[in-house]
Amino acid sequence: MAEVSFAREIESLKLGSGQIFHGEGIMAVTKALLQSGVAYVGGYQGAPVSHLLDVMIEAQDQLSDLGIHVESCTNEAAAAAMLGASINYPLRGVVTWKSIVGTNVAADALSNLASPGVLGGALIVVGEDYGEGASVIQERTHAFALKSSLWLLDPRPDLTTIVRMVEKSFELSEASNTPVIMELRIRACHVFGSFEAKDNVAATWSAANPIDKPADFQYMRLSHPPVTFVQEADKIQRRLPAAQKFIVDQKLNEIVGPEQHELGIIVQGGLFNALNGRLETAGLSDGFARANIPVLVLNVTHPLAPSQITGFCAGKKSVLIVEEGHPEFIEQAVGQILRRADIQTRLFGKDVLPSAGEYSPMVMARGLSAFLAANDQSSEKLDGWIASTDAHLREVRQASAPPPPRLPGFCTGCPERPVFSAMKLLRQESGPVHVAADIGCHAFATFAPFDQGNSILGYGMSLASAAAVAGTQKQRPVSVMGDGGFWHNGLLTGVAGAVLNKQDSVLVVMNNGYSSATGAQDLPSSAPNPHGRGKGVDIEKTLRGMGVTSVTRVRSYGVSKVRSALRKALGATTKGLKVIIADGECQLARQRRVRPLEAKAVASGTRVVRSRFWVDPEVCTGDHSCMRLSGCPSLTIKPNEDPLRRDPVAHVQSDCVGCGLCGEVSHAAQLCPSFAQIDVIQNPSVLDRLRRNAALAVRRWLSPAHQGPDA
Amino acid sequence: MSRHLRILIAALGGEGGGVLAGWIADAAVAEGFMAQRTSIPGVAQRTGATTYYIEIMDRAEGQSAVMALSPCPGEVDLVVASELLEATRVVHGGFVTQDRTTVISSTQRVFTIQERMAMGDGRADVQQMRGVVERFARQATFADFGAIAASASCHVNSVLLGAISLLLPMQPDSLRAAIRRDGRAVDANLRGFDLGRNVVTQASPGPVAPGTPDRPLRALPPVGLEDLLEGLPSGIHATVSEGIHRLVDFQDEALARSFVQKILRFVSLPNADDELLNELARHLAVRMSSEDTIRVAQLKLRDERLLRLAREAKARDGDIVEVTEFLKPGPEELLSVLPLWIGRPLLVASQRLRLSSLSFPLKIRTSGIFGFLLLKMLAAMKPWRPKSLRAIQEAAWVDEWLTLVEASLAVDPAAALQLIETASLVRGYGDTWKRGHASWRCITDDVVQPMLSGRLPRQHFADALLQARLAAQADPEGHRLNDLVKSLKSLAA
Repeated sequence: MAEVSFAREIESLKLGSGQIFHGEGIMAVTKALLQSGVAYVGGYQGAPVSHLLDVMIEAQDQLSDLGIHVESCTNEAAAAAMLGASINYPLRGVVTWKSIVGTNVAADALSNLASPGVLGGALIVVGEDYGEGASVIQERTHAFALKSSLWLLDPRPDLTTIVRMVEKSFELSEASNTPVIMELRIRACHVFGSFEAKDNVAATWSAANPIDKPADFQYMRLSHPPVTFVQEADKIQRRLPAAQKFIVDQKLNEIVGPEQHELGIIVQGGLFNALNGRLETAGLSDGFARANIPVLVLNVTHPLAPSQITGFCAGKKSVLIVEEGHPEFIEQAVGQILRRADIQTRLFGKDVLPSAGEYSPMVMARGLSAFLAANDQSSEKLDGWIASTDAHLREVRQASAPPPPRLPGFCTGCPERPVFSAMKLLRQESGPVHVAADIGCHAFATFAPFDQGNSILGYGMSLASAAAVAGTQKQRPVSVMGDGGFWHNGLLTGVAGAVLNKQDSVLVVMNNGYSSATGAQDLPSSAPNPHGRGKGVDIEKTLRGMGVTSVTRVRSYGVSKVRSALRKALGATTKGLKVIIADGECQLARQRRVRPLEAKAVASGTRVVRSRFWVDPEVCTGDHSCMRLSGCPSLTIKPNEDPLRRDPVAHVQSDCVGCGLCGEVSHAAQLCPSFAQIDVIQNPSVLDRLRRNAALAVRRWLSPAHQGPDA
Repeated sequence: MSRHLRILIAALGGEGGGVLAGWIADAAVAEGFMAQRTSIPGVAQRTGATTYYIEIMDRAEGQSAVMALSPCPGEVDLVVASELLEATRVVHGGFVTQDRTTVISSTQRVFTIQERMAMGDGRADVQQMRGVVERFARQATFADFGAIAASASCHVNSVLLGAISLLLPMQPDSLRAAIRRDGRAVDANLRGFDLGRNVVTQASPGPVAPGTPDRPLRALPPVGLEDLLEGLPSGIHATVSEGIHRLVDFQDEALARSFVQKILRFVSLPNADDELLNELARHLAVRMSSEDTIRVAQLKLRDERLLRLAREAKARDGDIVEVTEFLKPGPEELLSVLPLWIGRPLLVASQRLRLSSLSFPLKIRTSGIFGFLLLKMLAAMKPWRPKSLRAIQEAAWVDEWLTLVEASLAVDPAAALQLIETASLVRGYGDTWKRGHASWRCITDDVVQPMLSGRLPRQHFADALLQARLAAQADPEGHRLNDLVKSLKSLAA
């Protein structure tokens, strides 16, 4: 079961016609899918779209009357291939993933899907992980839409508009036999707003009402020569004009502001609110987007309808394209449309706005200001705001240095941290090794205090990325991979390749039981439980079945043992792949699982031992070596109680979960004698009491001056 | 004129900032306002800095508002921060302006990994952080909301909601209703909400300044040893008294007397002012009670310690608290408690046999009989300590340090003060202790001695020592100190 429970959201997914839905952007998309009669849903989890799939999985029983087939795909390629159902059958389907990375993984299937096209509406909802808060490479999904002839929607971040666009996506897809991508930026996925709901619609054909016979054999539905040539032409000659007509007829793009004006702005739908805010500053719009300047809001950013572009630009002196990221595909397309139509409207875009980076309010303001200035319509208000904000920021920077960044890190008690403590200790002992890092929580080891990792090549790609390093370096490289990455890609791309090519390297698999970085979704190797999808597939057996002979399992918290397993694997005389599986359940998931059980046990009078760590403030001398080997949020500093010493001492906060790393590290590194483990025995047994009383008696006898504790 | 309120919440992942934003927006919608909230969660939720942004507007019939998804510099009315550094981050984003922004910030610090990893005191300056928020805000209110929440066993977000409730256009009961509708930990959150409302109406308590110790110095020496203060300037009485207490507890009266004798040697020197003498006495007391194996046993046996452990572990009546110490003495720790004549040859032998890296991981249950007796035996060696290898080594170090301080004082008092401060490098256990000694040796050999002998330009004496001490604490590998020493050597050449 995933990290977040969606009990309340599921209720809102059941709302009917006329009721008001209040909720998050990505939930609104999910509701819109149900209103559109989807037959199947799939995808691969990843922020900011994880919730779409998580809620559909959790809601399966409650929405069973809709007969929607739901899959948590093992990767994005599988998700994209799943849309293949819409090639032959009139089924509406949706898949979701994080872009750009997920789209890259899906690319092969996407091309093969786009070529024959679809009969049933096919929608891909991607989280456009761009700008502040993004965790992936900064590239545009737009490029995929262009190269594969997929239509791309970038709706205005307003729930009513988003919901309408989801519904229209299926119609557009069916009207033009083309899959549609809808990109939603991070904040749009997480925006909370409201819209008027409609009744959910059950698909004609679905899990509840299965299709009775398979489709006829039709070569046109295979992406295979010779029909690929026909399909290529069909994309251009039939599907594109059909889509352009639908976009214009259905008014998918919106025009706000006056009809007559010598200037105009064309903006990606997703950026409209940011633009409107700065138009407000300039006195050219208000909080209800009653603009004094014409704005063409592209809820569909590909394809453009030339007639709409020429219609908007004709008669205008200048038009500004507000398009985030690089390359400036829309600007290029608009330029070409204008040239072909011989319209002399001057085009502004990346000459006044930057090619790289998010269009924050300040960036947007500067671009708008330059555009207005170039057209002799400078806004004093806007320019004044920019100047005063600049002056203010300068003043702030003069007053104090910028605060140090606070990057994400391993959670309290994370089972992956100890493995990196062991790696750091080994590095101190025998020098650096090449570390191929991967995607997942373990990528936090690239930050302080571990500061390790030489490359990241994608999800589950670490071992593959070490192939040529292993072949050209004296020392064996170490690849780190999570169980998430292992099942996503690493097993075939990495392990199979390493076995085939006799790669001489070390692979550490972090077996924490879930796809933790994306919200603790189940994997094939997750423990089976009645609410989850885990099948308990054994990673070790899987590896051995693939021909890996050296597999060592270690408990991840045993720092000394992990270090000696690594030392052994790096120093082994035999060649070939050596895998170390570091077992340790994701602590967030574990606490969610264990806490209620423990509370119940304590209440019922069962003996329960709760452990946590503690630092002797008098013994600690304030060197903080322990922090440099741990970084646990619970292991922090506090002012020195000793009036003769100044440096802060180590301190374990009460949120310590007693994972044992502090003790392991102080042993493995021979740190200092400050660490102690406290075991609180709740509902102690008779034996516990006897032992305690005996110990107290001895204590009192030998220290008669003091009163022992009575606890 | 319609109202339009823009709120930015700065928090750390896992603190419930999203829930707080939810309560606010939910209460606003329930009262008929238009409200929109958004956030940057995702992976930042794993302990990183994160923000939540809310806009609240009066409803206008037939119109749908277009609200921003990101905060805009200069256009934020209310900033709520659950942590002080995060409040300054918002200031640095330009979101706090004198014309409109009210800031409500917790003085609580959640230290960054850089602050925690530092080899000495890497904490950011609390007063400076507060100052920058106060300077740019229209109004700033500070309180330790984290401590308030902890005292009432509720989450900090509910206390923050209470604190800002007076500034929101919604009624307090609407906010309470939002907490109830949310359904999570309702009683605790309502308790936190009411606490938060009270905080803001009262004066906000200031945070503890960094470096200020919890316990003040004891003004007088133990009863019967008052005579030890004779001949010392009154400005250093407290520090010396504290030192006497410490050394009597550590060893005996004789050691305390020896401590005072060493200070007296400096009192009559012309350049020794109170500042220098205080620092000298402070470091001297700490170094003369160095953390040997006997001391560790002594500290771990204290009865108050067990009581404190039980309290901090939140043990209830009837619970049993067991304590297990994680110790890993190596040959150095074990042999250093032996007398010099046997300890030193054995240590040399162990080094020759390369046994230095050998160590014995021990988990000793001090709350049990065996563990208690073991530590008791170690602590019982106290009377023999002055003859132990470690005590003799430490005493020799103290003598060398004092001799160098005296020599430097004659040349440059500022440098002498810096040299006194280098004592803080020598501390800890195992590798930390060895590294500290090596750094200190490097500084004396390559900075102090060349300065005293005139091989290095003396006008840079104090500065070079300060730089060297900071460099020694910059990285555990000693790269910075090596670089510094190299550049100094080139100066001499």
